[in-house]
Amino acid sequence: MEAHIEKLTTIFRQVFDDEAIVLNDQLTANDIGAWDSLSHMLMIAQVEDAFSIKFSLREINKLKNVGALIKLIESKSAN
Amino acid sequence: MTFTSFGFLIFFPVVILVYYCLPGKYRGWFLLLASYYFYINLKPVYAVLLAGITLVTYAFTLLMARAKTEKSRKLLLVLDIVITLLPLFFFKYYNFVNTGIYSLLNSAGIRWPLPEISFILPVGISFYTFMALGYAIDVYHEEIKPEKNLGIVALFLSFFPIVLSGPIERATNMFPQFKGTLQFDYGKAVKGFQFMLWGYFMKLVVANRIAILVHVIFRDVDHSTGSSLFLGVLLYPIQVYADLGGYSLIAIGSAAVMGIDVMQNFNRPFFATSMSQFWRRWHISLISWLTDYVYTPLSFNLRKYGMLGTVIALMLTFLISGVWHGAALTFIFWGLLQGSFLSIEAITNKQRRSFFKKHDLVKKGWFIFISCVFTYLLFAFSELFCGPIDSMQKAFFIIKKIFSNFMSPLYFGNPSTIVFSLLGILILFSAEWQMEYHQAALPFLNNKNWIVRKLSYAVLIIIILLIGVFDGGQFIYFQF
Repeated sequence: MEAHIEKLTTIFRQVFDDEAIVLNDQLTANDIGAWDSLSHMLMIAQVEDAFSIKFSLREINKLKNVGALIKLIESKSAN
Repeated sequence: MTFTSFGFLIFFPVVILVYYCLPGKYRGWFLLLASYYFYINLKPVYAVLLAGITLVTYAFTLLMARAKTEKSRKLLLVLDIVITLLPLFFFKYYNFVNTGIYSLLNSAGIRWPLPEISFILPVGISFYTFMALGYAIDVYHEEIKPEKNLGIVALFLSFFPIVLSGPIERATNMFPQFKGTLQFDYGKAVKGFQFMLWGYFMKLVVANRIAILVHVIFRDVDHSTGSSLFLGVLLYPIQVYADLGGYSLIAIGSAAVMGIDVMQNFNRPFFATSMSQFWRRWHISLISWLTDYVYTPLSFNLRKYGMLGTVIALMLTFLISGVWHGAALTFIFWGLLQGSFLSIEAITNKQRRSFFKKHDLVKKGWFIFISCVFTYLLFAFSELFCGPIDSMQKAFFIIKKIFSNFMSPLYFGNPSTIVFSLLGILILFSAEWQMEYHQAALPFLNNKNWIVRKLSYAVLIIIILLIGVFDGGQFIYFQF
């Protein structure tokens, strides 16, 4: 869990170009200036690479916040 | 019937009166009846098309829910999309594709002319087609359950405030409202009337007045001077904004009077400091539709290509946006231009952000102003390809003439036209300035002081009646 968040934080800081980003479950795109529909998919692709998992479009569409993303990563990594 | 027709002045109050006199459970059905009456008034036969698309959408969404396998669900979705798009293709793109094929065959030495079809595009078809598609795709992705009550689907697609030109609404927003208690809400109704009044101001005072000038300038580009053409280029985006933005506010306002929330369509676009920000403020319902149903699936499938995937997805999305506006090379070029602007911004995003941060520019007034002007000019020149001119050649001729013949006498028609245009623009931009930087609600109309509020309503109505142009023609987006 901790390791996942650490890895995800690195990706977020790199893709959204902000070293001050601290992840929490409630965090959404509204909280990060550079997180828009363009950078969103770049972030998703990096997450898939880093955790060696694959998302479906339906799963991505249903994500409401970072907490949901972490849960999804965990469920995928466990398999 | 349209919002600026005399008939609407009678239709709307009667609808509101009957709507609120009826018991709650009949209000939805009454709205459906009123909506079809509104649409039939334009041309009865087109209502058949609307009803047809409604039935197709209703049947396919229910079938999709019953399908046993993912494969058959997908097949049903594809079939639904094809059938729903057929009328749009037939009415909007048949002649364009036909001429293309004909000239292609002709260049190969084959003469095989197909008949030209001269139907008028059914008003609103581009809008309700997209709404129907959005609903079907949402059902496929399980964002919403298929609606068993045909009346709800029919009302969604024919709802009179939005049927002619949007905002392009979503089933996920409208269905729960139509199915809930349609109740009178004083706060919403007041806001609704304010929006309608401001919408009429935008359309009748600003858009229709500017239209007189822009029409003359672009009618004969050979004789218009470079400086006049530049004035036309500068004014046209404001005309389109006041036209579609005004229409949208009347739509949102009239729905709000009935207690129904319709999504925002514009958010003070000319205060955008970049093109990507501009496209989050301009024709929001179309762009968010394209983002959800075109851009996101495309960029998802192309995600392993990183920035290149983003650029391809952007270009294709805006190409579709261009084609949605019309079947002509100018619209295609317009879409590709917007796609290129956004791609360049996406590619240089990090560098720009760090440059702005290093020099502490983001909050500097002069920098915001220059960025707004630059964004406006980019959009204004690109808008030449989205409506006012019917050929690529003419559009490029205009741009060339502006730069080569800039120091030339300026044509501004009748002095009253330019004076009233500028007055309208001044009022519009002052109000938007106030809303952008100080308060969210319309100034004066929401003043704490009772007298100021009442006086503002009176002054606004007088301005509309005195300097509004009432025979200024139809809304621009009816042609799309």
